[in-house]
Amino acid sequence: MIIAFKKNVEGVLLACHELRESPGSDLIYADTLDELKSKISFSGFEDDVWTLGFKPVTNCSDLATRILGKRKSRMFQRDPGVEKYIDLVLRHSSCSPVELVHFICSCAGNADQLYSGKSPTGKRFYNYMRDVTRAYHRLCMFARPDFVNGILTVEVNSPHRIGDMFCRWLAGKNPDLPVSVIENDIAWIGNGRYIGLENFTNVRSSFIQSLSFSREDDELDQLWDVYYDSQMIENRRNKRHAKQLQPKSSASVSEMSRRDRYKVERGIANCTLDEFNA
Amino acid sequence: MTSRHTVNEHHMTLTERMKVLSEGTKYDSCNQSAVCHAFGPDGRCIQLYKTLLTNSCSGECSYCPNRCGRDSVKASLTPEEITKITWSFYRKNAIEGLFLSSGVIGDAENTAEKQLEVARLLRNQGFTGYIHMRVMPGTPLYLLEEIADYANKFGVNAETTSSVNYSEICPNFDYKSDVLQRLKWTRDLINKKRKEVGYGGRIVGANDTQFVVGALSEPDREIVQTVDKFMDKYELRRPYFMSFDPVPSTPLENNPSSPQWREIRLYQTSYLLKDYGLKAFDFDMVYDDNGFLMDSDPKILLAQSHPERFPVNINSASLNELLLVPGIGPVGANRIVRSRPISSEKELMRMGVVISRARPFIEINGKRQTNLASFMEAS
Repeated sequence: MIIAFKKNVEGVLLACHELRESPGSDLIYADTLDELKSKISFSGFEDDVWTLGFKPVTNCSDLATRILGKRKSRMFQRDPGVEKYIDLVLRHSSCSPVELVHFICSCAGNADQLYSGKSPTGKRFYNYMRDVTRAYHRLCMFARPDFVNGILTVEVNSPHRIGDMFCRWLAGKNPDLPVSVIENDIAWIGNGRYIGLENFTNVRSSFIQSLSFSREDDELDQLWDVYYDSQMIENRRNKRHAKQLQPKSSASVSEMSRRDRYKVERGIANCTLDEFNA
Repeated sequence: MTSRHTVNEHHMTLTERMKVLSEGTKYDSCNQSAVCHAFGPDGRCIQLYKTLLTNSCSGECSYCPNRCGRDSVKASLTPEEITKITWSFYRKNAIEGLFLSSGVIGDAENTAEKQLEVARLLRNQGFTGYIHMRVMPGTPLYLLEEIADYANKFGVNAETTSSVNYSEICPNFDYKSDVLQRLKWTRDLINKKRKEVGYGGRIVGANDTQFVVGALSEPDREIVQTVDKFMDKYELRRPYFMSFDPVPSTPLENNPSSPQWREIRLYQTSYLLKDYGLKAFDFDMVYDDNGFLMDSDPKILLAQSHPERFPVNINSASLNELLLVPGIGPVGANRIVRSRPISSEKELMRMGVVISRARPFIEINGKRQTNLASFMEAS
């Protein structure tokens, strides 16, 4: 038998449930039904295929409890719950959903194994979850949106699929403005009701990019630089620590972070050419 | 001197005034455990727009660069200007909110009213970000109550450990009534607000305070005991420590500056109080003869001073016993307890244990690191 599941939390949990019932089954996954059909036709095994998760009908919380038990499994206050854990792992660029289903089944109802990192596979998936969380946090920290025709817009370029998560966060932070997060060819829109769209939706990124771009923030950038420099305590400079907190990759997220990162690396100049001339 | 202040302030641009007033807050710590947006070259995070309303102060605190009568560039920002800058940075996602402190404008009541004006203005404009206000010692209760309605976090700095010390560095205020009474009020207001907003509502930050370390000769033992007492009595969640640096033209200008490591060791000790359930008396063995912490990890010193507690068996020790092992934190200890049996150091490493620190203090399946004492016993 082949278990075909959608690459989302519900699909993974349903596949786990089904795999426990029929342990020898093969697994395939897809993002959409069309992709699934092409995968199945390519494999040549069109009979005896169980399709799961493409029609959202299941209560994921109940399903997660049935598969991994009732016990509160988080070991660290910032660890997400089981469903969020699966969601985050699935967003990782290296995640294999089939392997994830096998791993969850191997936990045999003990959700602690998702978080403890005791086994090498458990540690790898835990690290995937942390990688995605970290990438999302870095966007929240270092992305600097601009106004494009009244829409707060930012372009992100993460290896993991986190554009929608970031868009929800940005929309929550600015509930009175429409926001847009451009991720490759998709633009996620938050608070879309202000521009006649659904409150949270996505459109083709060309739609946002076609809007005339007006950047009026040079003065603000200068003001930020003045503020950033004012917070420096020279005798406490700790380059190594600062570099760990603001890694090199963060510099590519926005122009402002690039300048901040440069100052972490080189320090803040305490004299200028004007002072020499004077 | 007065003319210099006046001329300076009147001829300064917004950017220049902003620079002066932000510099006045650079020693204030304001972690709110949310999203940081930048890190300074000193590694401290920048998550709020920190500013003073004014650096003109009628207080005469002996360590403070803004003290009354000291010749320095004086500046102030209007509530509208602070609001405008906060909004600009906030929309740009460069900050999460505002940290507002001030020099004492006449008296504490007047200062709090001005601070409140900023918070009120921001909230009325629909600002949903974080607002942290440091109020002056002696702020009246009715204003604290109103501040609690607008700010996510507010509090008063204790600066030191006792009335005697306080009167020496802050002669204009009374420790017992202006500081301790306010710590009690903020505790009560925070509890009241938390009940009102519940979970999922706006953040209501825990009670906190800041100590100036090294301005006076109070030993670390006294500071740790005070922190412990404040945690019990005022539900202090996190103390902040600021190393003393002598400021020219102040009464303490000739005092030596406090070493950076002292601040770090005090922070480490405060985490042991906060997250590990230890009490001030547990550290009695850790201080030197004068009651000061040494430049070494207090948890390791604590473990070394109690050799009878070790090695602990990883597979049978209680959570509290595991927490005393250097290299094992609250998260690691929890993981160990819930993932037993543990069969190797590799498993511990994967769980986040710093094995090089923990090795001398643990035993896995009867195996432990050999030390000279056990070698002597065996022979």
